[in-house]
Amino acid sequence: MIFRGLSRGCAFLVPALIGGIFLALLIYSLPAIKKFGVGFLVSPEWNPVTQEFGAASSIFGTVVSTLIAMLLAVPLSLAIAFFLVELAPPKVSRVVSTLIELLAAIPSIIFGMWGLFVFAPFLQTQVQPWLASTLGFLPLFQGPPMGIGIMSAGIILAFMILPFICAIARDVFLLVPRTIRESAFGMGATTWEVMYKVMIPYGLVGLIGAVFLGLGRALGETMAITFVIGNSHRISASLFAAGNSIASTLANEFAEATEPMYVSSLIALGLVLFLITYLVQILAQFLLRRLYRSWSVGL
Amino acid sequence: MKTTTMAFPYPVALDQSLTLETAVPAAYAAAPVGPKIIARQVRFFYGDHQALFENDLEIHRHKVTAIIGPSGCGKSTHIRIYNRIYELYGEQRAFGEILLDGENILDPAMDVMELRRRVGMIFQKPTPFPMSVFENVAFGLKLHYRLSKGEMADRVEEALSQAALWDEVKDILRQPGTALSGGQQQRLCIARALAVEPEVLLMDEPTSAIDPIATAKIEELINSLKSKYTIVIVTHNMQQAARVSDFTAFFYQGHIVEFGDTQKIFTNPANKKTEEYITGRFG
Amino acid sequence: MKPRPPIGRRLVNGVVSGLAAASALMGLLALAWIFWGVLSRGVGALNLDFFTSLPNPPGVSGGGVANAIVGTLAMTGLATLLAVPVGIMAGVFLSEFGQKSRLADQSRFAANVLMGMPSIIIGVFVYAILVLPRGKFSGYAGALSLGIIMLPVVARTAEDMLRLLPNTLREAGLALGAPTWKVTLTILFRAAKPGLLTGILLAVARVSGETAPLLFTALNSPYWESSLAGPTPNLTVTIFNFAMSPYPDWQQMAWGASLLITCGVLALNLAARFFLGEKHS
Repeated sequence: MIFRGLSRGCAFLVPALIGGIFLALLIYSLPAIKKFGVGFLVSPEWNPVTQEFGAASSIFGTVVSTLIAMLLAVPLSLAIAFFLVELAPPKVSRVVSTLIELLAAIPSIIFGMWGLFVFAPFLQTQVQPWLASTLGFLPLFQGPPMGIGIMSAGIILAFMILPFICAIARDVFLLVPRTIRESAFGMGATTWEVMYKVMIPYGLVGLIGAVFLGLGRALGETMAITFVIGNSHRISASLFAAGNSIASTLANEFAEATEPMYVSSLIALGLVLFLITYLVQILAQFLLRRLYRSWSVGL
Repeated sequence: MKTTTMAFPYPVALDQSLTLETAVPAAYAAAPVGPKIIARQVRFFYGDHQALFENDLEIHRHKVTAIIGPSGCGKSTHIRIYNRIYELYGEQRAFGEILLDGENILDPAMDVMELRRRVGMIFQKPTPFPMSVFENVAFGLKLHYRLSKGEMADRVEEALSQAALWDEVKDILRQPGTALSGGQQQRLCIARALAVEPEVLLMDEPTSAIDPIATAKIEELINSLKSKYTIVIVTHNMQQAARVSDFTAFFYQGHIVEFGDTQKIFTNPANKKTEEYITGRFG
Repeated sequence: MKPRPPIGRRLVNGVVSGLAAASALMGLLALAWIFWGVLSRGVGALNLDFFTSLPNPPGVSGGGVANAIVGTLAMTGLATLLAVPVGIMAGVFLSEFGQKSRLADQSRFAANVLMGMPSIIIGVFVYAILVLPRGKFSGYAGALSLGIIMLPVVARTAEDMLRLLPNTLREAGLALGAPTWKVTLTILFRAAKPGLLTGILLAVARVSGETAPLLFTALNSPYWESSLAGPTPNLTVTIFNFAMSPYPDWQQMAWGASLLITCGVLALNLAARFFLGEKHS
């Protein structure tokens, strides 16, 4: 009985933690919410000296870097999952799967180091000048190529979320019943036609779930972004420009914030991030659950 | 026109989907004489394990051939060679010759996609694709033909009619194929296979997952289809084999023990093993 | 009616397959590039001093990050002590008692959500409930945030591993008249040991590279700290601080620490795989 109660208590602790996190963030961000209201979300002003705080530049950077990451990572990870499930011989598939999973295990600060010292200079010298000269007529690719900035943040984010999306996509494809796959091949379809016309529609809900999980990770990723995004509270149309994200603002400024309104504004920023990722997570879990339930394989 | 008649067995390429060369489509006007399919000295391996031994078999044109035998005897394995579906699994290999209208389908130069259009397959469980009833039937048509909307609709209706399903689904063509009952789903899969105008239909225990009434409908359907198609049906149900087939092959431990007229096999089998099996002494 | 020739379809298939293989290659290259970057730059920083000395002020070469190594180990250890018992008990509830109950459902759902929650949010949370009220950064706060991050990982793997056990095992124990807790503790835990160990290793691997939740809980310190009651030195925040500094000596140190962390995390992951592989074979 005691044992049972104890285990029940521990199980209860998990949802309680989520509730606790929400409440704590809400309570501590109240001063900022009271002072700035909805304006907090739309004001681009972030000035600790004048005690004026708005989240717009951080939200903008979060959204844009995540968007770049998703645009790169979703097709890439689906392509890799396709390779692993349909094209690679079993042994190759196993080895490549393991290596891609190891990519997921690398801590984000390592991505940050690599991004700052290796990848950003590469981008600055090799890629951005070329982009500027070929696509420079777009506002997206204007301005001095600095390496660090929204663009490198987005690309590094893509590498970080790729293994997560890829692993789930692979599992979703593997869950497609053997006979469905064989039927499609049996109709004379090519490997790609089987994937595109049958396997992807079959696992669509799960794939969307996987994409949302990746999205959640990208939105909240902190260290890798903090290293390379440039940390500037400015909104710029150019992807070469420095920017910031909610998480990078928190990482950079929290430990130094002393003014109560500054701290409260930062926590409010955290609350915004919490709410966004919470929604995305719920959606992802819901979709994946629906898929697994409809195929009656327990989650 | 390629007519390979190599006498010795040779390994078959594992993945042809990457090669860009194409074989000349088979001649449709090939003289309709002799057996539709001739299997010669077919051997099959799952990795190192040999599952089929020197199978020789003739599948007769516009007839129904039943393949019976205890589970694990290799009967499904045998027909899975006819459309080379086994190639999806790298460790499975087939040797020997299988002549479809005189053309060796195990020849690496054989176009697998075209082969699978000509040789359709129905599985144990219904396998509706995640799309509407209409799209299911149109699936193969879209792959293999360039059709206008009107032609497409005509062909879909024709296939569904042939599969005796049109009346039941003509008002719900836009609903998902999975919404149909099990028996309807199986007939949908048959319609899907028929739509691309195959020459041979392989049925791998097509009624093992559906109820008796739906089974009767499918058996009736098989009967009506044989004037146009050559049908091979794998079944573990001996009454079914007796009811629907003209010829029967009895498989045992990877060997074809006996092949002949269904009537003869079931009334006067030549082999002792066959007799034991059809009288229910094992299996 | 004549079928259309499949040349176009084969071409598309070939091109897409080629692109897919290229994508896989690109993923591997990225991994190799990162690993090589860390290895080639970090290996020069590793020497005896690195593991035994305190960091030197900028400009003075030499020195090490011994205090940070100890601090990271201490906080990770404490976090493990916090999260493992709670996580495993939660897993026991999910697999043995709750199963399909509402609480189990919510708990499972919450664990998944918590696993995907950005770690910096956990940091902000612990800052709000522990650092702000006490008025100072501490290693305890750092350990608590790491523990919260570990908890759902341990709970979910524990549940999965216990579920894999055959019911006959439970029935055999209960048939002997043993109460559930005894069956769980003596029979099930022993049978699920490799799986549980895997879960713990993965959880430790996950937090040992964490930086964001430590930034404003444990903070960092250039000194030896005798307890976790104050700002506590740790490897990851040290990497962050040193990397962002303009001093090449410190940046070199950061690379060394990065190499150490990467190797540690990869070793833990491979060990976890090894345990799980042993169980399956």
